[in-house]
Amino acid sequence: METPAINALAVETIGLTKRYPLTWKRKVLVALDHLDLQIRPGEVFGLLGPNGSGKSTTLKMLLGLVVPNEGVARIFGLPPDSLAARRRVGFLPENPYFYSFLNGDETLRFYGKLCGVTGTALEKRIEELIDLVGLQNGRERPLRSYSKGMLQRIGLAQALIHDPDLLFLDEPTAGVDPLGSAQIRDLILRLKKMGKTVVFSSHLLEQVQEVADRVAIFSLGKKILEGSLDLLLTESRDTQVQIPGELDSVRQEQVCRLLGQAGIDPAGVRFSRPRLSLEQLYLRTVQTQPGVSLRDSQPRP
Amino acid sequence: MITSLHRIMVIGRNTLTEAVRRKVLNVLLVFALALVASSVLVSQLATPDLDNAGLFDPQIKFVKDFGCGAIGLFGFAIALLSTAQLIPDELEKRTIYTILAKPVRRSEFLLGKFLGIVFLVVLAVALMSIAFSLSLYWQEVRAMAYADSIYDVGFSNFPEVVDKVHRYEAEEAQIQARGGDAAMQTQAIRALDEKYRREEAGGGAAKNSVEEETNWERSKDTVEAYDRDVRQIHDQIRDPQLIEAILLIFAKLIMSAGIALFISTFATSSIFTIVTTFLIYLIGHLESVARDVWLQRGAEVTIWQSGLLGLLSLLIPDMNSFTIVDEILAGNHVPWTHTFDLLGYAGVYLVVLLAVSIVIFDYREI
Amino acid sequence: MTGLPLRLRLRRALLVALILGLWAPAKIVWELRIARAQNQLRYQGVTLTRQLRDQLGQGLSIGVLSGMGNVVADLVWLEVTIAWENQEWFRMGGLINLCTALQPRFITYWDMGAWQLAWNASVAATKDLSLPNPLRREKASRFWINQGLAIYKRGIENNPESWRLWADTGLLYEQRLGDYRTAAYYYGEAAKRPNCLTFYERFPAIMYGLAGDDWNSYEAWKALWERLTPAQRAEPRHEGDRIEKEIRHFEQKLSIPTEKRVFPN
Repeated sequence: METPAINALAVETIGLTKRYPLTWKRKVLVALDHLDLQIRPGEVFGLLGPNGSGKSTTLKMLLGLVVPNEGVARIFGLPPDSLAARRRVGFLPENPYFYSFLNGDETLRFYGKLCGVTGTALEKRIEELIDLVGLQNGRERPLRSYSKGMLQRIGLAQALIHDPDLLFLDEPTAGVDPLGSAQIRDLILRLKKMGKTVVFSSHLLEQVQEVADRVAIFSLGKKILEGSLDLLLTESRDTQVQIPGELDSVRQEQVCRLLGQAGIDPAGVRFSRPRLSLEQLYLRTVQTQPGVSLRDSQPRP
Repeated sequence: MITSLHRIMVIGRNTLTEAVRRKVLNVLLVFALALVASSVLVSQLATPDLDNAGLFDPQIKFVKDFGCGAIGLFGFAIALLSTAQLIPDELEKRTIYTILAKPVRRSEFLLGKFLGIVFLVVLAVALMSIAFSLSLYWQEVRAMAYADSIYDVGFSNFPEVVDKVHRYEAEEAQIQARGGDAAMQTQAIRALDEKYRREEAGGGAAKNSVEEETNWERSKDTVEAYDRDVRQIHDQIRDPQLIEAILLIFAKLIMSAGIALFISTFATSSIFTIVTTFLIYLIGHLESVARDVWLQRGAEVTIWQSGLLGLLSLLIPDMNSFTIVDEILAGNHVPWTHTFDLLGYAGVYLVVLLAVSIVIFDYREI
Repeated sequence: MTGLPLRLRLRRALLVALILGLWAPAKIVWELRIARAQNQLRYQGVTLTRQLRDQLGQGLSIGVLSGMGNVVADLVWLEVTIAWENQEWFRMGGLINLCTALQPRFITYWDMGAWQLAWNASVAATKDLSLPNPLRREKASRFWINQGLAIYKRGIENNPESWRLWADTGLLYEQRLGDYRTAAYYYGEAAKRPNCLTFYERFPAIMYGLAGDDWNSYEAWKALWERLTPAQRAEPRHEGDRIEKEIRHFEQKLSIPTEKRVFPN
């Protein structure tokens, strides 16, 4: 087992490749093509790309579930399939893959014991997590009766049961209502503040935008683009200025003239009204309603 | 090491919980219990009324055969069906991903799942054995009642007569235990016999001495024969060797589960696992024949046939050697050393199957 | 769809081959040892011959093949009872043979089977009015006795340590054939078997007496007396009194010289 360096990268892949031979077509499917990836500890990293682009293959290899054909992957400098690495990793699967005959408490107890958390420490942790994800109502009911949102919550709880340093979240907000999504997003930010690394994949690009520090975009097994959101999204050519209050056309002309004096071509200046995102409007509306608290979303019947 | 075993146990208990919470297995178990009980009823058809040594044999044997047969059959169904869907279920429902993302080795996962099945089979066999014991007890009660009915002919109070003869025999045994001079012993026994013969005649009722003697002799002979039959019933029903039989049946079940597990590590569907394991189970009963033919290399066997027979003999377990359970159920003696030998064979075979299963599963793409 | 790299596939195959390769010879050796032990217990199990398969039919054959041979034997035995009630003697004989073939180590199949033939079937033959004359009936009766005898003998071959089979064969010779000398032999063998009932030890001598063979009867009584320890002679079940009485009777009757007598006075 390699001794991890003091400032090891949370995730590192070098030339990671996975091929599947399709015997009936006599071709080879390259699920992942020489991926080089580096994720630093404490980052929130987003994996983006269409279905079949290699995101889930990457995730499986980083979890030690699949063996690469070429290349190397390391988690905190350790091989991903080693117990030491997996002790520091928590995983929230896409469709929650849990035993439906267990209830919430039993599920957390089961996974906790597998991670080596036992006794009163385990019980305490279960209480903390139930509280954190807001599952007090459903903890005694079997998972088969849970709604999608509740399954996501228990999924998060079991991913965190052993207090991992690195979290892999596969589509964490898929199928969750906006209130729940917001809570999950807040949780991710809170985890980041605790110094944890979060790697998540999502199709809800708006949400990724709100939380991630850096993203990578995959397509057809290759990583096409990688970088910090600031750098990638900023239209580097232009600058935005936010002015309080509404400007009528007269005042707009005045501003243009001022900008012209600063050496900016008034023809390229645009005026527009900043918009709320729909999510912000929704949350603002729903949260100001009496009787709805942040953690208390009732499970759907 | 301890943490590894702990993880295996956690998964094992979870597997058992899942199996018990599934209703299907409960139904199977109810069927099995009903079958064991009905064997007692069916055995009533087994023999006509005969007064003959071995009168109760076929009936009791029937109950034992049927009961153990049901335990074997239903135990096999439970073991096979639940093992066959262990891995396919986990793969289909993807629950395996969540578990293997945790610090759990694949081998621990596999062993844990199998341990759960072992728990399940132990539970099933234990419950069925209890039902079996009850059916045996019931059969004993019936047999005793029947014995009473055929021996008490001509006696107004048969239990009292039995009691009296037993007292006589107890005193006789005491005289013999005291030892000493043979002639004095004989005399003492004769005196005892005389005393009981007088008693037999009843308080004061004057009967001639010939009749006295006949009554007493008849009592002794009848009770002796009655005791013999009772002892035979007890020996057959309360046979400690039945524990050996149950253990051997259990070993066969666990081996079958092990084979199912091995097949399922590379099988694509649970149906394939079930059919293949069942076929191996059947072929296993012929393995000893194949082995003998292969080892003796008779002239009638071609090289291809010899190769096939050899392959069978080297890989397929000898299931037929466990049929020695029949011997135990027929009332013949099978020493514990032999049972341990068979159990050891099953145990080592199981370890081999588990080892190979772990190797194959370790590298399985999920 | 295995994307498993070649080196890992090879490693997997090698490990599997290694484990199985180590186990296979050990397995054969172990199995042979178990087979030897079972031979010593005189347990051969059932080999499903073609003949057996034909007699049983497919369903029951699979039953035998899946290790439930004893239940199959029990079911066939039910048929024996039914055949007896319907007086179908030949069918009954065939079924008895089937049962004993399926489970040769269960004494009662041989015992009751032979008894059914040598007594029940045989006696029924003497009353069978479909046969024209008494001689024919006697011949039929003899036929069934011989059938029963054959079964007893095969039973003894398979279960030589069973006192019941030896004793009941003796009974057949005594009661059905009137052959006291052969009966004496069989009773003697029975008495040597473990767990045999005590009174059988006296039967050889008694049989010789019934045969009118005083000399052999005397020898048998004498041999028995000498076999028993003084403590045993005192036990009621060995009937020491009676043995002494018989020996004295014969020593008198055969005029044995005093110095050779067991009981000179």
